[in-house]
Amino acid sequence: MAASAARGAMALRTNIGRPVAFVRKIPWTAASGELREHFAQFGHVRKCTVPFDKETGFHKGMGWIHFSSEEELHNALQQENHIIDGVKCLKSPTLR
Amino acid sequence: MAALLRPARWLLRAAAAPYLPLSLRLLAGGPGRPHAALCLRAARARPVAGGLLSQARLHSIAAEKKNYLQEEPTSSHRRNASQFDWALMRLDNSVRRTGRIPKTLLQKVFDNTCHSGSAGGNQALLLLRSCGSLLPELKLSERTEFAHKIWDELQKLGTVYDVSHYNALLKVYLQNDHKFSPTDFLAKMEKGNIQPNRVTYQRLIAAYCNMGDIEGASTILGFMKTKDLPVTEAVFSALVTGHARSGDMENAENILTVMKEAGIEPGPDTYLALLNAYAEKGDIDHVKQTLEKVEKSDLYLMDRDLLQIILSFSKAGYPQYVPEILEKITYERRYIPDTMNLILLLVTEKLEDTALQILLACPISRESSQNDFGSFFLRHCVTMNTPAEKLKDYCKKLKEAQLHTSPLQFTLQCALVAQKLDLAKVLMKALKEEGFPIRTHYFWPLLVGHQKEKNVQGIVEVLKGMHEIGVTPDQETYVNYVFPCFDSIKSVRAVLQENGCPHDDNVFSQAELRSKAVNGNLDYILSFLESNTLPFSFSSLRGSLILGFRRSMNINLWSKITELLYKDGRYCQEPPGPTEAVGYFLYNLIDSMSDSEVQAKEEHLRQYFHQLKEMNVKIPENIYRGIRNLLDSYHVPELIKDVNILVEREKTDSRKPSSSDLESKLEKLKAENQPIGDILKQLILMLCSEENMQKALELKAKYESDMVVGGYAALINLCCRHDNAEDALNLKREFDRLDSSAVLDTGKYVRLVKVLGKHGKLQDAINILKEMKEKDVLVKDATVLSFFHILNGAALRGETETVKQLHEAIVTLGLAKPSTTLSSPLVTLYLEKDDLPAALESTIDCYEKYKILPRIHDVLCKLIEKGETELIQKAMDFVSQEQGEMTMLYDLFFAFLQTGNYKEAKKIIETPGIRARPTRLQWFCDRCIANNQVETLEKLVEMTQKLFECDRDQLYYSLLKLYTKKQNIVFDNETYARLINLLLMKDNSTQAMQVKDFAETHIKGFTLNDAANSLLIITQVRRDYLKDALTTLKTALDLDQIPSRLAVTRLIQACALKGDTESIHDIQKLVNGLEDSIGLSRMVFINNIALAQIKNNNIDVAIESIENMLTSENQTVDPQYFGLAYLFRKVIEGQLEPALEKISIMAERLANQFAVYKPVTDLFLQLVDSGKVDDARALLQRCGAIAEQMPILLVFCIRNSQRPGKAPVMKSLLELIPELIDKEEAYTCLMKSYVFDNDVTSAKALYESLTAKNVKLNDLFLKRYAVLLKNAGESVPFTEPPESFEFYAKQLKESKETHL
Repeated sequence: MAASAARGAMALRTNIGRPVAFVRKIPWTAASGELREHFAQFGHVRKCTVPFDKETGFHKGMGWIHFSSEEELHNALQQENHIIDGVKCLKSPTLR
Repeated sequence: MAALLRPARWLLRAAAAPYLPLSLRLLAGGPGRPHAALCLRAARARPVAGGLLSQARLHSIAAEKKNYLQEEPTSSHRRNASQFDWALMRLDNSVRRTGRIPKTLLQKVFDNTCHSGSAGGNQALLLLRSCGSLLPELKLSERTEFAHKIWDELQKLGTVYDVSHYNALLKVYLQNDHKFSPTDFLAKMEKGNIQPNRVTYQRLIAAYCNMGDIEGASTILGFMKTKDLPVTEAVFSALVTGHARSGDMENAENILTVMKEAGIEPGPDTYLALLNAYAEKGDIDHVKQTLEKVEKSDLYLMDRDLLQIILSFSKAGYPQYVPEILEKITYERRYIPDTMNLILLLVTEKLEDTALQILLACPISRESSQNDFGSFFLRHCVTMNTPAEKLKDYCKKLKEAQLHTSPLQFTLQCALVAQKLDLAKVLMKALKEEGFPIRTHYFWPLLVGHQKEKNVQGIVEVLKGMHEIGVTPDQETYVNYVFPCFDSIKSVRAVLQENGCPHDDNVFSQAELRSKAVNGNLDYILSFLESNTLPFSFSSLRGSLILGFRRSMNINLWSKITELLYKDGRYCQEPPGPTEAVGYFLYNLIDSMSDSEVQAKEEHLRQYFHQLKEMNVKIPENIYRGIRNLLDSYHVPELIKDVNILVEREKTDSRKPSSSDLESKLEKLKAENQPIGDILKQLILMLCSEENMQKALELKAKYESDMVVGGYAALINLCCRHDNAEDALNLKREFDRLDSSAVLDTGKYVRLVKVLGKHGKLQDAINILKEMKEKDVLVKDATVLSFFHILNGAALRGETETVKQLHEAIVTLGLAKPSTTLSSPLVTLYLEKDDLPAALESTIDCYEKYKILPRIHDVLCKLIEKGETELIQKAMDFVSQEQGEMTMLYDLFFAFLQTGNYKEAKKIIETPGIRARPTRLQWFCDRCIANNQVETLEKLVEMTQKLFECDRDQLYYSLLKLYTKKQNIVFDNETYARLINLLLMKDNSTQAMQVKDFAETHIKGFTLNDAANSLLIITQVRRDYLKDALTTLKTALDLDQIPSRLAVTRLIQACALKGDTESIHDIQKLVNGLEDSIGLSRMVFINNIALAQIKNNNIDVAIESIENMLTSENQTVDPQYFGLAYLFRKVIEGQLEPALEKISIMAERLANQFAVYKPVTDLFLQLVDSGKVDDARALLQRCGAIAEQMPILLVFCIRNSQRPGKAPVMKSLLELIPELIDKEEAYTCLMKSYVFDNDVTSAKALYESLTAKNVKLNDLFLKRYAVLLKNAGESVPFTEPPESFEFYAKQLKESKETHL
């Protein structure tokens, strides 16, 4: 948790074409369930993946949230801060 | 590494001492005799044992590094230079940022050094020096052990040690409190034939003194006396310690008096020795007295000295006095790394309570609430096995003190990384007590460790631990982390039972099911689903089941499993129900396959769908539509009708009229003898969308006379989808009869060709192609792709004639050009049959006909796999002859790489003379990325390391793309930095930031280096992201980096052009004190602040402040260096007339009233430079003194002569100030400029006027002129100097030096 909070930022990114948000700097304490729970407030989360590294047993701090629609994705991106497990998260501009 | 290397530099200098000026020779401590005072200062610069290293800035490091490398004995160690450079950089970065070196880093540098096979003396020195207080995270004994290991290993590698190495080792001993025999050490040196020097003796004395052995120290002191070596403060300080440790405090104090008598004033080091001595005795009163004494004197103790006293108190068992010393600490920012290192050291020494005390006293943590300051402390406590209960308490305190937002979670993470189950359990319980949830994945890191070693007992322990905490393992835990450790799932169950490991049978069974599914064991799945008694949802199994289906092609099992899930009450019965669930499953199944996979499995899928139909399985219409679109995009529309049969008709929209409604309406109209054309077409279209071919054909037969073109088109398409070539062809004929000029759309033609070809109606298919050509049907890229799929499908079915004839027709008709894609089925035909000779023949045939080599890579790969040496030879000969040897080598290289023959591939790519072919390399990279071949790509990157002209960055970028695609990023810091640099250089700042974000996510504490940050600033400025650039600058400076002058200047200039005075002031504050290191002149600020003010229409303010600076009593910049050229140029360029006028008045006033001529001359020159010659002349007339400012004018000439296109400027200048020609510098520059711009006329005029004046021209000048004339095809009126430019330039330079 604290490790990823070093720079205090979790960032969202969109994947052009599909309503997918890319989330970074997820605290280690959270997994896909927590992410899904958090993002459910913005719309229907079709799929949520937080890949774990089988070598370490930790995830890599990144995740993908698949929404049902662009609008829901937009809702999520609109929000300034995303706080998961007490880690304050910031949004970064779309990078792809 | 400045601090590490500094002493080495002195010593190296010593060797060169005879050539140094006297003062330096004294400093060098070589043959000359240094006097004490100088030595004192040198000694003070050394780090004190708390850790602790002076925070040298980069510029000095760079400078020293340069010296250092120059001083390296040239020949033998040359090749080590870059290696050394690298090591230096790594260690230096670490020391600069944190004041310490992590053990892993030192180990890495050391391993690398060993791996390289040899180490230079400097490198050895660097490594040895790192083994002392720079390793606070290591126990003292371990540090010394490390030093010894380095010493021995490097000696084996042939490193020759000199006195500096022995001294370094001694220092490490001292810093690590290593007990050793100084006499043995001297003997060892003697054996190595190394003469001890003053430093050696000094340190040996310190060693004796540390043991409290005054007698030993005296013996060495005696040695020094006989050798006439000076006794320095360091020796006296050591003696203070020596007496103290021998229990004689009185004499320890006395040393100070002795010193004074010897003419050496006790400095901070001596007092520190005394303070430490008292601290070791726990004598707080004397410590306080001594501190007061120091305060009253003009001496000054730094934070790190005070930290040293704290260490002494704590180590000696007097932690109660620590707070009193802590009070005196100023916590200057530059000592924070020192403080952190002391904290780490105390933890290492098991004095963690004191460490915490210091941590809590640190004020910085509260400044920035964002940073969790105590993390380093907690992590180290975990490493050093601090008791769990203590750690819990520390977490609590850190949180209370608001130092850390989530200390328990962080500590838990450390415990998990370190695989400390017991500690993890305690921490999790603590978290639970505080109301935090404990999640299953917390245990995965613990399981991973045991899984790697197949440690069943360890796994059991963790599972028991989970139970203890109240966490139930979920499916993922079993599938990913538990099962892989066992031979079979059966044995897992047995072991769990045997060890009394409670587990949820349901979860376990489902995990087992998933595990089996992933392995394609569909039999098991079926029998499980049949016998299973517990309900669970289909969707939880979906992902694994899809993988399983794709691994096993047993369609009967596919269907049976699907049927069971669809019908059985135990599965997918809850909403949205089985129809939805199975539909979604089918969609996902097809979506997960690639187009080629679906094409290859077309028949299987068809069979599957039909079996489902038999079983009465249904899917919703909307999902069917999704599947239809997928199949269309995969070029297998033939499967659409087979999915269509599964659609649940009952639920289709009831508002729309059904086909039967339409039919009765049609019959009614017919009976009434009314026109039925429209309704017939509508009905046929509806039947088509329902895929009801039978009915549609019957209808057509019944009402043939009423059919219209549109109805036929839809029917033809329907028959194609249903693979009904016979009817499709007949319909097409009827369609033509109806209207021979009617044209179908491209897609329908293509589908016809496909169906006809598939059913062996080759001539009919070719006729369709001909019609396409005749009717000029639009052929798009997608059409060409469809052609390829038609040919490829035929090739996969082994239909040789179809492929050949259709390909021939397409190409001859000119519908598409032959290409490596379109023509590849010609080769695929034979590759599929494993007929390699024919495949190769076909490829070669394509080359002879169309100059393309389709699938040569695949052919080669197969040939290599089969070991067909002769055919490989044949292929290579052919490629070599037709396309050159280089192409052949690349073909072979890629084929070896692809087939995993890395050794052979390596040999090929190391062929002498081979160079990089970027497009071919890129082709292979893209291929690897598309096929997810991580290993192959990694090998490629590795093997091309030495490839001539190879764009490494591009390769790394490809690797990054692949890793990113696989969501598996494992770059190290350097690779990231390299990539970011590359992207910045390519001016791709968006992507650079993206990579940077990634890097920051993946590498703890990832930062860009100075160069990259500077580049980033420049890019941001160029893109007008000034705020971001300012942030980057702040970040860089926070990391103690020195940004480049260019970067800072660009940023300042950009702010000025925006009129942003405030930002410039901010920057000025930020870089305050670093101007020299950056190489930033104060004038940059003065110019740009003035410019910004002018941009804001504050012309008067700008002018007034400049004038004040130039006329005030205490000038910060010497008027002769007060260059305002930049400001003037910007004002002239920007045509800011009112400002220019006021500036001109100011410049003239300064000249006339204050005799300050620099501004007016600069203004004059800038006017000339901008082509405003008349204005310049007017100014010169008003202020004649300009012509006398020769130094300024000459500098202008020299600068301008280095740039092209300045000949007109130089000519104007010469016209305005003709006396310039008398100066050699000036006319040399003029000629240079004329030559630069090929201005023969002006050059001639210059030459003539000079010869008329009888000026003796130098050879360089003549050479330049001669070459200019020759290039212009003119004769040279004198003998051209025969040597090269370089020769004359050097000659000229030398003659000037001797002249001086």
